[in-house]
Amino acid sequence: MSKMENHVLTVDGLSIAFGGLKAVDDLSFDIKDKEIYGLIGPNGAGKTTVFNCITQFYKPDKGDLRFKGHGDQIVDLTTKPVHDIIRQGLVRTFQNVELIRELSIIDNVLIGGHIDFEANTLSQALKLPKARKEEKKYREEAEKILEDLGILDRKDMLVGGQPYGILKKVEFARTLMTRPKLIILDEPAAGLNDSETIDLARLIKRIRDQYDCSILLVEHDMRLVMDVCDRICAINFGKLLAIGTPKEIQANKAVQAAYLGVE
Amino acid sequence: MTKKKNIFQKHPAIGFILFGLLLALIPTLAEMGIMKNGYVTTIGGTLIYAIAALGLNILLGWSGLISLGTAGFMGLAAYMSAYLTVDLNLPFEVSFFLAVLIPTLIGILVGLVSLKIEGLYLAIATLAVAEVLRKTFEELGKYTGGFSGKSADYPTLLGLFELDRTTMFYFIIFVLVIIMILTSNMMNGRLGRALNAMRGSEAAAQAMGVNLLTHRLIAFALATIFASVAGVLYVHFVKFSYPSTWSLAMSLNFLAIIIIGGLRSIYGTVLGAFIVYAVPDMFLKQIPFFEDLSYVLNGVLIILVIIFYPNGLISIGYDIRKLFRKLTKGGAKNE
Amino acid sequence: MSTFIQIILRSLETGSIYALAALGIIIIYRTSYTTNFAQGVVAMFNTFVVTFLFNKFGLPLWLAVIGGILSAILTGFLIDVLILRHTKNVSPVAKQIITLGLIMIVLGLAPIFFGVDPLRLPRLIESGDLGILGASISYNGLFNIALGLAIMMGMFYILQRTKWGLAIRTTASNEYVARLMGVPTKNVTMAAWGVAGVLGVIAGVMTAPMTSVTLNLMDEVQITALVACVLGGFQTFHGPVIGAYIMGIVRNLLLFYVSSVWGGQILYILILIFIVFRPYGLIGKKIVKKV
Repeated sequence: MSKMENHVLTVDGLSIAFGGLKAVDDLSFDIKDKEIYGLIGPNGAGKTTVFNCITQFYKPDKGDLRFKGHGDQIVDLTTKPVHDIIRQGLVRTFQNVELIRELSIIDNVLIGGHIDFEANTLSQALKLPKARKEEKKYREEAEKILEDLGILDRKDMLVGGQPYGILKKVEFARTLMTRPKLIILDEPAAGLNDSETIDLARLIKRIRDQYDCSILLVEHDMRLVMDVCDRICAINFGKLLAIGTPKEIQANKAVQAAYLGVE
Repeated sequence: MTKKKNIFQKHPAIGFILFGLLLALIPTLAEMGIMKNGYVTTIGGTLIYAIAALGLNILLGWSGLISLGTAGFMGLAAYMSAYLTVDLNLPFEVSFFLAVLIPTLIGILVGLVSLKIEGLYLAIATLAVAEVLRKTFEELGKYTGGFSGKSADYPTLLGLFELDRTTMFYFIIFVLVIIMILTSNMMNGRLGRALNAMRGSEAAAQAMGVNLLTHRLIAFALATIFASVAGVLYVHFVKFSYPSTWSLAMSLNFLAIIIIGGLRSIYGTVLGAFIVYAVPDMFLKQIPFFEDLSYVLNGVLIILVIIFYPNGLISIGYDIRKLFRKLTKGGAKNE
Repeated sequence: MSTFIQIILRSLETGSIYALAALGIIIIYRTSYTTNFAQGVVAMFNTFVVTFLFNKFGLPLWLAVIGGILSAILTGFLIDVLILRHTKNVSPVAKQIITLGLIMIVLGLAPIFFGVDPLRLPRLIESGDLGILGASISYNGLFNIALGLAIMMGMFYILQRTKWGLAIRTTASNEYVARLMGVPTKNVTMAAWGVAGVLGVIAGVMTAPMTSVTLNLMDEVQITALVACVLGGFQTFHGPVIGAYIMGIVRNLLLFYVSSVWGGQILYILILIFIVFRPYGLIGKKIVKKV
């Protein structure tokens, strides 16, 4: 049992099958502190299933998932229900950008602060001083994050109708609100053009540096992955292909074959 | 650069209190002969329905869950309060508390059973529960008077102040304003955001740490509390409760109120209550055939609003304001 | 023992009624992705049509029933074409609310068309009983049971063995993919509403002789059918049907042996307790969502 000294997440022998079909098969990898780690694989390789297992949206059939959360506490993720994962400091974004259209941008970001609020429902209902102070404090925190991402001026606008690039930033803001130790980015480059992807790369690196967290980047866009990742794990058919630096992965024959087909 | 908020946006409570004060003029208007006397009863009933509908709005508008049992729980509270004050001679405050508490506990039980799976099951479960309650109202004659109904009287507050119709009307306004303020505070804070998240995307809500079952239960509990409060007010204002009152038709009318008036809108709920209950009763009854048609119209309105005007008719107000702003600013510089 | 058999026989009859109604609900649920809360009142409406044709226009009963069936097909089509077709951007919850609004419309229109007095509709086979194992059941009851079973067998045959059934099952499984594969999903949903309407009116015509034709005619059947879907699970076509027969039997057993007043209500409470232990129903399966 490793002490996870400079690792934030260790995945050991992760396996899950759906109706007889093995979606993930004995996968192991680990993510270091403050590392940007890529998870790549062709369509259907099982990337989404992998992180759905990590976040306990699916319960894996087998495997160890150890996470170093807030206060350096080591947690076995499989013991947690899905809505508790965020309390450990593990948060994910959604490829479909699951924001609430009828709420304002800042209210969407404040949902990220949900678990931090301590005042109970009754004191909120009566707008007691403690509840009011909390609301003010987290609102200011949310505004700071929005300002950092350059979208503070839109904070009271409704999410519905905002351009896609803005929505992605709002989702980032929401995840940053949770003060995460590990952010799982679910295909953040989907739907972005070249220059937007370059901005995204810069943003990802800045978030890692500034907010002191690790990032698991699940992505299709190879240029983004090779640009920002410190290490990469390549999978196919739910099985591990290779782990290494971007250069090593690019040179790896098995990875090439998986993407381009066997010669 | 933040949008400047006017005083009503920063402190919605002020708006609600002013609204209540406006409503409080109504009995005076009736006495002066400007308004028909019967309207006071109609509007009082409408405000009571608005309270129940607000609870349903928390459940459906904010949390996305359908309940078909609003009338059932309201009736249960009505019968309980009538029994506790008339048969057991308990003080009004005690009766109020018990008549709200017990249906809420039952509601939480029902919620625990049906909310674990999907929202759909709540609709069916409340339908079944309402049916059980209906039978209870009919059969437990010892407590409910069976088909003859049960009567109650205007409440006596603090054992001292015997209310009459006018002062009871004021009391209803008082309760309504408090409920509006509480609802606004809750829905604009952490709870409201969590309920919205749950409604908008269960996956995102869970990822943000929102426990779905807990929040569904809270929403259903609040809906039941409001319905119970409305029930108590009803039986002590209308002074009578029959089993046939608490029908599915009434629950559907509450649904109509919030859909037509506006989901997630507090003023919209009151507007909806007026449209569904007060307007037909006060103005349209004179038109022949209208009695039967008004129910049909509510149904048609629900469908039309859902398809064409999903934010409810209250948003007509916002649209008019937007249009006005656009025209006066020459259509320039929108955010 | 013969009383018990008597109860079972009667339960098969009421079970058939519940099963037809439940089948109507599950067909709409799986093809239009909405719970049709209005199934009962629409059935009531069409049963009124039958009664009117029989009473006021003096048509022979079988002809009146055919008239009701035609009316049911028409109302089903109308609901789909006039209302449901326009709900592309409407959430599933809102669609359910639309069916609730539909209840209001039908409940409001029925008295205008048919008046407020209760009407009588006679049984298809007026009299005659058959003795089985010391119990007796009316020929009409037997006919209802047989008809119910025949309709259900027919429906399942169509669903499993014919091209139309395949179209329905494909649409039920995934409408988008079905359309891509060339399934005429618009026709499928229209047909589904028509079929559901017919199932409803047949259930109504079976129910009516046992009581009288009023606005509340199908209320109990409707709730029971919905609960049967909960019991049997919404994921299959046969689950709710099985649930319906079970409920029919248990209901009569409760009414006779436990309480003749509260039997039905006790049944509902029992089922609510049941789903604590088996949330997905007797047959339902848990759906794995993709995020």
